[in-house]
Amino acid sequence: MKDKEILRTLVHDARAPLNRISMNAELIKMILENDMPKDKALSALDKIINNCQQCSEDLQKISDLDSSEST
Amino acid sequence: MLNILLVDDDSEFSDVVCHIVEFLGHNIDTAANLAEAQQWFENNTFDHVFLDFMLPDGSGLHLVEHLNSIGQSPKITLISGHPSVKGKLAEMCAPNVGHLVKPLQREDIERVLNPKKNTEKKKKQPSIQKHFGTLIGESPVMQQLYTMIERVANTNANVMLMGESGAGKEVVAQAIHNASQCEGPLVATNCGALSKELIGSELFGHEKGAFTGAIARKEGVFEQAANGTLFLDEVTEMPIDMQPNLLRVLESKKVVRVGGNKELPVDCRVISATNRSLEDLAQNNVIREDIYFRLAVFPIDIPALRDRKEDIELLAKAFLEQLNDENGTDFTWQTAQLKELSGYDWPGNVRELRHAIHRAFIMSDPKGKTITLPSNLESPFSRVNKKSQANQVSAGQTIEEVEKDLIHATLDKVQGNKTLAAQMLGISTKTLYNRLNAYGGIGEYS
Repeated sequence: MKDKEILRTLVHDARAPLNRISMNAELIKMILENDMPKDKALSALDKIINNCQQCSEDLQKISDLDSSEST
Repeated sequence: MLNILLVDDDSEFSDVVCHIVEFLGHNIDTAANLAEAQQWFENNTFDHVFLDFMLPDGSGLHLVEHLNSIGQSPKITLISGHPSVKGKLAEMCAPNVGHLVKPLQREDIERVLNPKKNTEKKKKQPSIQKHFGTLIGESPVMQQLYTMIERVANTNANVMLMGESGAGKEVVAQAIHNASQCEGPLVATNCGALSKELIGSELFGHEKGAFTGAIARKEGVFEQAANGTLFLDEVTEMPIDMQPNLLRVLESKKVVRVGGNKELPVDCRVISATNRSLEDLAQNNVIREDIYFRLAVFPIDIPALRDRKEDIELLAKAFLEQLNDENGTDFTWQTAQLKELSGYDWPGNVRELRHAIHRAFIMSDPKGKTITLPSNLESPFSRVNKKSQANQVSAGQTIEEVEKDLIHATLDKVQGNKTLAAQMLGISTKTLYNRLNAYGGIGEYS
C-alpha cells in the first residue's frame, strides 16, 4: 500500500519536467510563429533538454521501485 | 486584458507560463505557496487564478476556501498532476472552478482564459504565418525584405521606406518596430496631411501660449516616440521650409518645442516613407540631400504586389480569414477565384486587394459558403490610369511603337473584335490583319 503511494508520488513528480517541456515547446512555437528574437527560444530548448534528463531520472526511480518490489 | 495570479512552487514552470500569458495580452503575477497567494489577495483583485493542486504549505483547495471567506470569486483553474483527481474535482468544485491536468498546452491556457473565443479559434487556427506579427508573404522578394528588417532591427539606424501607394509602408514600419523590441511606442504621423502652420507644433511640440490657440503645452511626436519609433509618412510632402528644422533635430538629436527654449533629448528611431521614386527625389528637389542621407541611413524598397504575385493567394486567404473571424462567417475561396485574383496587376497594391476582397465579402450571400468576386476587379482609378497611359504620346517614340500601342488599346477596348477595331482605326480589316502580321502579333492579339 505504501509502495503504491510512493509510486503515485513518483509518477506525479515525473509530470513536473514533462509540464516544463510542454510549456517551453509552446513558447518556442510562439516565438517562431511571430518572428520574435531567437534567444528566448534557445534558452527554452536548453530547458527542454535538461528537463528530459530530469524526467529520465524520475522514470528510473519508478523502475528502481518496481525492481525492489519484485525482489 | 485579464489580471491573473499563478500559484505554483515550480519556478521554472511559472517563468515560462508568464511569458506565454503575457504574449496572450494579459497581466500575470506569481506566488510560490499559499501564504504568498493570500498576501497578494490582501491588496489586489484578480480575474483568474491558476492554482497548483499541491503546494509546499497546503492544498490549492485551501486557497479556494480562503477566497470564499474573504468574498473574492475570481475564476480559478486548479492544475493537478493526477488525471484521477480531475473527476473528483469536477464533483467538488463550484461553477467558477475548473481544472487542468499536467502536462499543459498553450491551448489549455487560452481555452480557460477565453472559453468562447477559443472554441472558434481551435477550428480556424491561422495557417498563414505573419512575419514580425504583421507581414504576410513567402515570395523571394519578401524573404529579402524580412532579412533587411532583421538586420536593421538590431541597430538604431533611421530607415526610409520607398514603395508605391498601398504597398504596405506603415505595415513594414510596424514590423521594424516589433522586431527591434524597443521599450517605447510606435508613433505615426503623416507629414503630407499637416498644414504649414501646424507641422512644427505636431513634430516638435509647443509651449503654452506659443501662438494663438496654444492653450496648453503639447508634446511633439519626437517626444511621444521616446525610446520607440517615429514613423513619418509622406515625408517628401513636408513643406520645404520645415526641412531645416527637421535636419537640426536629426543631427543634434535634440528638439526644442515651438515657443520654448529648452533642448529636450530625442531618442527614437525615425522611419520615414515616401511613394516617390529615387529618381523623383533626386531630380525634383522635393527633399534636401542632407536630410535624405540622415533619414535614409538604411533605405528599404517595398515591392509592389505585382512583383510578388505568388503572395496574392496568401494575402487573399488571410484577409478572408480576418473577415470571417470579425463577422462569424465561414466563407472560403475557390481555386479559380484565387487564380483570377493572382492574374490581376493590382496597381493599388495590397490596399486595393484588401478593399476588393472586403467589397466582395459584403456582396456575397451570407448563407453561402463561397465568396462572390465582381466581374471586373479593376478599381475606377486603375481604369483612369490605364486610359491616360494608353493615350500618352511623347517625343522619342517611334511611329511603330505608337502604332502598336494604338492598335493594342483599340483591340482591348472592343474585346479583340478585329472588325470593330478596324472601323475605329479608320482602316480596313485586311489592313489591320496585315499590320498584326507585320508586327508578328501585338500582345495577345495575332
